[in-house]
Amino acid sequence: MAILEVRNLHKSFGKHEVLKGISFSLEKGNVLSIIGSSGSGKTTLLRCITFLETATSGKILVDGDAIFDGESTVKPNAKMRREKQLNFGLVFQQFNLFPQYNVLNNVTLAPRLRAKEREDYKQNKKQILAEIDAKARTLLEKMGLSDKLDFYPCQLSGGQQQRVSIARAMALEPKILFFDEPTSALDPELTGEILKVIRELADEHMTMVIVTHEMTFAKEVSDYIVFMDGGVIAEEGAAKELIEHPKTERLQAFLSKISD
Amino acid sequence: MNKKLIALLLAAVMVIACFALAACGNKTDDTATTDAANTSDAPAAESDLAYIQSKGKLVVGITDFAPMDFKEEGSEEWVGFDADLAKAFANSLGVEVEFTEIDWDNKILELDGKSIDCVWNGMTITDEVKSAMSVSDPYCKNAQVIVVPADKAADYQTAEACKDLQFAVEAGSAGQDVAEENGFSVTEVKDQATALQEVAAGTSDAAIIDLLMAGAMIGEGTGFSSLTYTASLNSEEYGVGFRKGSDLVTAFNTFFDSEVALGSVDKIAEQYGISTDTIIK
Amino acid sequence: MQDFFQNLSQQFETFFTQFPVVFQSLNVGFLQTLKLFCTTLLGALPLGLVISFGSMSKMKVVNKITRLFVWIVRGSPLMLQLLIIYYFPGLVWHKPIWGGGEDGRFLAATVSFIINYACYFSEIFRGGIQSIPIGQYEAGQVLGLTKTQTFFRVVLLQVIKRIVPPMSNEIITLVKDTSLARIIALQEIIWAGQAFMKGSHGISGAIWPMFFTMVYYLFASGILTVLLGRLEKKLDFFKV
Repeated sequence: MAILEVRNLHKSFGKHEVLKGISFSLEKGNVLSIIGSSGSGKTTLLRCITFLETATSGKILVDGDAIFDGESTVKPNAKMRREKQLNFGLVFQQFNLFPQYNVLNNVTLAPRLRAKEREDYKQNKKQILAEIDAKARTLLEKMGLSDKLDFYPCQLSGGQQQRVSIARAMALEPKILFFDEPTSALDPELTGEILKVIRELADEHMTMVIVTHEMTFAKEVSDYIVFMDGGVIAEEGAAKELIEHPKTERLQAFLSKISD
Repeated sequence: MNKKLIALLLAAVMVIACFALAACGNKTDDTATTDAANTSDAPAAESDLAYIQSKGKLVVGITDFAPMDFKEEGSEEWVGFDADLAKAFANSLGVEVEFTEIDWDNKILELDGKSIDCVWNGMTITDEVKSAMSVSDPYCKNAQVIVVPADKAADYQTAEACKDLQFAVEAGSAGQDVAEENGFSVTEVKDQATALQEVAAGTSDAAIIDLLMAGAMIGEGTGFSSLTYTASLNSEEYGVGFRKGSDLVTAFNTFFDSEVALGSVDKIAEQYGISTDTIIK
Repeated sequence: MQDFFQNLSQQFETFFTQFPVVFQSLNVGFLQTLKLFCTTLLGALPLGLVISFGSMSKMKVVNKITRLFVWIVRGSPLMLQLLIIYYFPGLVWHKPIWGGGEDGRFLAATVSFIINYACYFSEIFRGGIQSIPIGQYEAGQVLGLTKTQTFFRVVLLQVIKRIVPPMSNEIITLVKDTSLARIIALQEIIWAGQAFMKGSHGISGAIWPMFFTMVYYLFASGILTVLLGRLEKKLDFFKV
């Protein structure tokens, strides 16, 4: 069964329809890339799935459970939303690190707050916090940031900041990790370090959805690619096949523009 | 934290505040148009005396004005000719006395707003005062005198001799009125002390202030030792101001007459260096 | 020349005999000034936050009314507000809710100052809160933080850092604005100083006490400038 399934998702801002019926599914451990020109709706799609926007209609299922249903009349309360939210991690284009916390605390803040809701929190407080701390250190070590634990975001390069934000997103052990153009805000010489990290995550079979402009990278790291244009999926298929042999004119035009 | 609830509550409070303000506006308009009728009618309906007695204290509006109301050095108690009489008056009504310093410009506001119950501070009875308050029978005589530097006093013994001088007067005071009657050119200042300061500093040639005040504030042994007073411009009388239509006026008049008869008024006057001739019997 | 020195020494003598009395009286006045300053700050900071929420509310009615209220308060002189709040209850409803004594005047002054300053603060808060990038809220949301957690754990300190400089200005203005309360005869320090002109505590015609109050104001604003400067520096460790 697919870990993520999106069915006929629509989203309008006022009269302007940005998503005109998007459907796709993703298997556990796979990497899906979403490509398309700006304004094609790919970022909106990502924001709808991660609840930063509320879709107008359609369905989103995680492990077969509907976490969003446009038909449902039950209005989800804040608590339910938060629970559903935790299925996903999201890495922003602009990192959005918390400037007043150092690197380690950026990663541990959410897990610590979350742990407070555990029933055994009071009894095992020390142990729980130690676990969270240890896990954050491991994650940051994996990101190559062991020597930056007590640095503040303003003291880091863009690439380092983005790696912290990946660690932060992973600290809550999401089922799926989303990336919203993770390298777009970076200088070209820094994109490599982020792509490398994502590649390593892919090798560990982390389930990921990546909105990206890096075609070569998408082809190499993804299992599957979705090409969006004008609010619909114009073409989709296995990564290598799709990039090397685009079938539709729209994708051909897009790819030739990119490679210029 | 329910933000919506807070916001709603806030809105409610503000709506009420706005209506209250609007209501104020209307009401003040009403009182402005029917001023005399309203202010004289309303308090008369309910006895001011009963109001004072029900709250158990008489709030006396004063300023720091020796020898009428002042504090001795190192003491926090108000004393003076007016203060001591006020204490006796409150005593006769069976209530406590509370002195509160006010901004003299706002005395009518204070009285009508009931933050004080009477103005008792060497207040000269003028038409203006009479139109805004019910004033007691005059209890003390006073005059407006010309204050000049002592070394020039010989030249300025009469009002006529002073007509070319530049006068400093307290804005809105009885001194200003008589200066204008005499056709003097005046500079309005904040209070009588500032008027004296003007003369001492030479920024004005002369000032016109109360005789009582002049007696206490200028000459040997005061902060204004270089000044003296010469001509009296008019005589005037002091009264105690109550709210329009207040029955405290009668109570005061009765009280004062009996005190005079007992001789205690003269005794207080002497204690504060006020000539017993000035007491109106 | 001799006259001059004699005169000068005489003046010094009066000054030194007057000083203890004046000093004592100014201290009492300054205490009242400080009390008004502190209670205003304590009341206006939280109320300002609540008002800023109102003026950012998505509910149109709340939003409009709050902004109207803020406009009225910020758009009219504090001195007038003091007069209205102190005198209106007695004048209009014939219920002098504040009473005539010093305590009542202080209470009325405090209420006026809190309302006035809360409105000024609310605009600073609003500016500070709205200047925080939406991404910070979104990051909080995707990490499963509640709205309250996001506000207190993520946004608040950033807001504080942004508003410290404009708030410092307002706070130092407040120190000096307290002198307006003398319009309802609150005996703050300038009132106390001015009293010696007319005559008080056996001293009359002395103008130096009024100008001497400046020392107190400079002292207070100096300390505040240092403290607020330290706070600003303390928040230097991160950038927003």
